[in-house]
Amino acid sequence: MSEPIDLALGILDHQVVDSEGFRCGKVDDLELGGIQEGKPVVETIIVGRRNRRRVHVPWDEVEKVDSAVWLKRPARELRLRRGDDRLRPLLEWIPGAHAR
Amino acid sequence: MKRIFEIALGILAAIGGFVDIGDIVFNVAAGAMFQYRLLWVVVIGVGAIITYSEMCGRVTVASGRAVFDAVRERLGFRVGLVALVAAQLVNLMTLAAEIGGIALALQLLAGLPFRALLVLAVLALAVVLWAMPFSWIERIFGYVGLAMLAFAVAAIKLDPGWGDVASGFVPSVPSGDRALYAYFVVGLIGAATVPYEVYFYSSGAMEEQWTPKDLGTNKANAIIGYSLGGFLSFALMITAGALFYPLGITPESLGSVALGVDVPLGTIGLLCALVGILFAVSGAAIDTAFSGGYTLAQFFGWEWGKYRRPVDAPRFTLTWIVMVVLGFLVVVTGVDPIKVTEYSVIFSVVALPLTYVPILLVANDRAYMGRYRNGRVANVFGIAYLVVILAIAVAAIPLMLVTNMGQG
Repeated sequence: MSEPIDLALGILDHQVVDSEGFRCGKVDDLELGGIQEGKPVVETIIVGRRNRRRVHVPWDEVEKVDSAVWLKRPARELRLRRGDDRLRPLLEWIPGAHAR
Repeated sequence: MKRIFEIALGILAAIGGFVDIGDIVFNVAAGAMFQYRLLWVVVIGVGAIITYSEMCGRVTVASGRAVFDAVRERLGFRVGLVALVAAQLVNLMTLAAEIGGIALALQLLAGLPFRALLVLAVLALAVVLWAMPFSWIERIFGYVGLAMLAFAVAAIKLDPGWGDVASGFVPSVPSGDRALYAYFVVGLIGAATVPYEVYFYSSGAMEEQWTPKDLGTNKANAIIGYSLGGFLSFALMITAGALFYPLGITPESLGSVALGVDVPLGTIGLLCALVGILFAVSGAAIDTAFSGGYTLAQFFGWEWGKYRRPVDAPRFTLTWIVMVVLGFLVVVTGVDPIKVTEYSVIFSVVALPLTYVPILLVANDRAYMGRYRNGRVANVFGIAYLVVILAIAVAAIPLMLVTNMGQG
């Protein structure tokens, strides 16, 4: 990750995608860990806007950044996509819910 | 055959976008009131939607992100939220109107009580949305909707003065009610560029799993699909101009619109037109229901798509289910579906820039698009049509008030 990125345009509000290709929220905020060599360093990306549901994802978990922020691990391991997990039972009983 | 199916997405996006219940009536009313003098407006609308659909199809192919991802990114959460609320209101109002339209078309075909057909319509819609694969949906509803080409045959058979028709393609200012004319200009461009078309189209590109190899397919879909939609708009307007304008009648119901085919072509033509209307209106219902799910999911970053199993995209799936239920509840109150779409078209015009500006910005972003960035042609057309879109966005509400929603 040595390429410079514009934080506002290049990361903030970007799609977050886990290692299995599932979308798991947007980059709602960033936490900076001070300045290194005159440049701010991102320490954590924050997914979720409401206080209790905000998830902090350490920058080390980020695989790459392009039109999305790609994570190194599945959402579950980072406690992401819990909204989908909560609502899934509402659909599971319907025939065809597990079919493509 | 495979080639023909490759443009199914464009056909459905266009059929559902151009010739949904409100547009059918809008185009026919335009023909009935101004004969052929508004044909040029359809050309502008078609050009705008081709330009922007091609652009956002390309954005999706190049970046894997659809229109509302771009809206969220470029406008941020707060302003983006305004765009989202506006988009969802239009999605919902249009969906409600289409559900009503399905029931109206069924009523003309089968003649059962309207409310019973409303229930039937919403159940059938839910089953199709849930169970039918995306590629079937776009093929069946897009292509059967083309039965509306009966209106083109009717237009020819009515033998309008072709010289008058041709001069309708040249912009002109009428001597009569100019505010009403301007209202129709805004309404027709708005109807051609309703944002749910690009939400559906760009997300559809993802559903179809297009890759950069499919950029030609994207261009073909945008150009052929929307041109066909525009052609149908011409046909509706010319039919109405030839039949209703000389009599001084403005049809306000789907039944009288269908008369436009019945008079020159008889029962077979009428049947074709009604089946076409039924599938076009159903296609529009599908477009808007899914668009509701797409926009919300893309704004908040949820997993989405028909290509996912419902249990893998629960929030997306529940969103479109809730949309369908709400749409049903709106229309079951007895509001006039046609009035509802007219309102939704005018309101969507006001919010148009919130969708189209972010698309243009993202399509020019090198980091996002790489070598698939907008070229000069896309930008020249993109900026020109953006000026048109901004102008009609500003004019929409005052014109609606001055003309009492086109009632004069």
